[in-house]
Amino acid sequence: MRIGIPHCGNAYVIAEALVQKLGNGKNELIIPPPTSHRTLDLGVKYSPVEACLPFKLTLGNLIEACELGADTLIHARGTGVCRLGYYVKEQEQIIRDLGYDAHFFTLDVSQNRVKSIMRLIKELTNDAPWSKIISAFSFAMGKLFALDEMEKVIHKVRAVELEKGRANQVYRQAVKAISEAQTIREVRNTAKEYVKKLGQIPKDPKADPVKVGIVGEVFVVLDPFANMDIEMELGKLGVEVERTMSLSRWVKYRLFLNYLGIDEWEQVHKAALPYLRRSVGGDGWESVGEKVVYARDGYDGVIHLAPFTCMPEIVAQNIMPSTEEDIPVLTILYDEQMAKPGMITRLEAFVDLLKFRRKRRRK
Amino acid sequence: MLKVGIPRALSYYQYFPAWKVFFEALGAEAVVSPLTNKAIFAAGNSRAVAETCLPVKLFFGHVISLADKCDYMFIPALRSLGRKAYYCSKFIGLPDMTRALVPECPPILDPEIDLNKGRRGLYQTIYSLGSHFSSDKNKIKKAVEQAEKAHLAYRKEMSDRGITPIQALDETHRSEDKSYLEPDVSRGLSIAVIGHQYVIYDDYVNHRLISRLRDMGVRVFTPEMAEQQALDVAMTKLGGAPHWSFEADIVGAGEYYLEGKVDGIISVAVFGCGPDSMMIDMVRHRARGFRTPFLHLSLDEHTSEGGVLTRLEAFLDMVKRRRRVCA
Repeated sequence: MRIGIPHCGNAYVIAEALVQKLGNGKNELIIPPPTSHRTLDLGVKYSPVEACLPFKLTLGNLIEACELGADTLIHARGTGVCRLGYYVKEQEQIIRDLGYDAHFFTLDVSQNRVKSIMRLIKELTNDAPWSKIISAFSFAMGKLFALDEMEKVIHKVRAVELEKGRANQVYRQAVKAISEAQTIREVRNTAKEYVKKLGQIPKDPKADPVKVGIVGEVFVVLDPFANMDIEMELGKLGVEVERTMSLSRWVKYRLFLNYLGIDEWEQVHKAALPYLRRSVGGDGWESVGEKVVYARDGYDGVIHLAPFTCMPEIVAQNIMPSTEEDIPVLTILYDEQMAKPGMITRLEAFVDLLKFRRKRRRK
Repeated sequence: MLKVGIPRALSYYQYFPAWKVFFEALGAEAVVSPLTNKAIFAAGNSRAVAETCLPVKLFFGHVISLADKCDYMFIPALRSLGRKAYYCSKFIGLPDMTRALVPECPPILDPEIDLNKGRRGLYQTIYSLGSHFSSDKNKIKKAVEQAEKAHLAYRKEMSDRGITPIQALDETHRSEDKSYLEPDVSRGLSIAVIGHQYVIYDDYVNHRLISRLRDMGVRVFTPEMAEQQALDVAMTKLGGAPHWSFEADIVGAGEYYLEGKVDGIISVAVFGCGPDSMMIDMVRHRARGFRTPFLHLSLDEHTSEGGVLTRLEAFLDMVKRRRRVCA
């Protein structure tokens, strides 16, 4: 079996780590090349025109995996209101039409299914012993948590560093070191070391960064190719970025704490309630709630990311401007037509607006 | 008498007879907004963000046109009609979006319909909806039974007689214009028009597509002219278990009419429709297998009548020539 996966931000690190611990020579993991413009072109060429960007990008990834010889493909599936539930039906057909003979495994992400994920791993490893699977899984999670922790730190450092770009260099080294680490202890030590290194980057003592919360559809929020490195660009503009959503948080709650009745979004949903009374699928409810929460927490603005034609986020987009908690929202919709300079211009204008508002408020 | 406003948009085409019977049985009057017109479009378009799809923008326009004519606005939040198949997010968020965008709207009745939660939850939702009009539980129960009967009769009438919802609704309303009601017996091309009811039956959106086709001598088939069960069977055959509540009307109808050997399929969708962006492709793929001509019309607020007409004419010419050559 040659197993191919699509990309979403750092998600491939989990797969890589699992293989590192569970690889048995029989099965091979094929991580497609990092999402590139070629990936996007492939996805756009073979997708229905009006499919959303995550569909096109993941399809591109899967085609590239097939080109490298993958015969088994893993993809997320959601039972719920968004298009994600239809992805596999459609992509399976497209890939078959292209002449690849690939079998799909689907991972239901809309429900708490730690069991089904574990079973999938067991099936894909030709029945490895449970003890080995569990230790490999926790090793993979360790890497994921370390990476997400780095991201949290770098969001703060980027905004205030003296020499722009320094933090990114350290971050890239950190990602490399963490993905090369062999044991969980090594992962933790590496992470600690790089957090310290990030802390030592010289900072502008006069810096007073505006604070912005990022909300929106999970794939474009988490995937730097899809969102055109928006967090890095904001860092260049001297903006401190906060983002609740992360893969590690999702894993932590969806696979474990939700079972204990702990709902990570409870406060956010409560905040959204006066404006949106129910889930509308995808991340629409959370987007509205998070806007309210960021406004209450004294953030300067919210940036709302969504793929073009994303249904849940259009609901959120219609509702967000009218909440009582007033805070500027910039919605950025991504599709294959979008160019980065356009995004940067809009970000610059938005940040200027936020700075102006802050000055006026402080007077 | 309390007046309940029902916007002539989205699920109106599917459920209006049931809703009307329900509210009237409870002693309320159902007030419907006029046919979509320019003023309604302009009003809706000015409120919603640009990315919203045309039918939802029109929905807000219809709400605005009703705002001062009723005591309640009926906007159910349709989530699922069971089988783990769902409506589009915008249907679920409709009441909340209306609250945000149309502040002048009278109090909104927004029962959440989710049949995955079982019948008990549905009954509770309906009772609390009915309690706005009557405290008599028996009366509400009777109203529900009558509404269900009306809905089934409406659906059956369409499939038995091969008529569209507009024709069926017109009869129940005894409208003046009866030209629609003439039975369709033309022996011209048979073309299936598939799409959401609120797209293929709103003449403002589709530029009178169906009557135009009929004027051209085409025998038009729409999803409602087939029995629901037949559509369900065809849908399962092509796509397996449904993911969307209206999958039978698009994928099912596509497969059903392809197997029925129509001369061509016209799928009509609005630009930016999430579910359609995926489902239409399934039908297109299948049509290629059947070697049946397939035309996809993507409509939005900028679509011109001339553009639609040109494409229809070209498509029909192609189908005709093909029939001649193959015959």
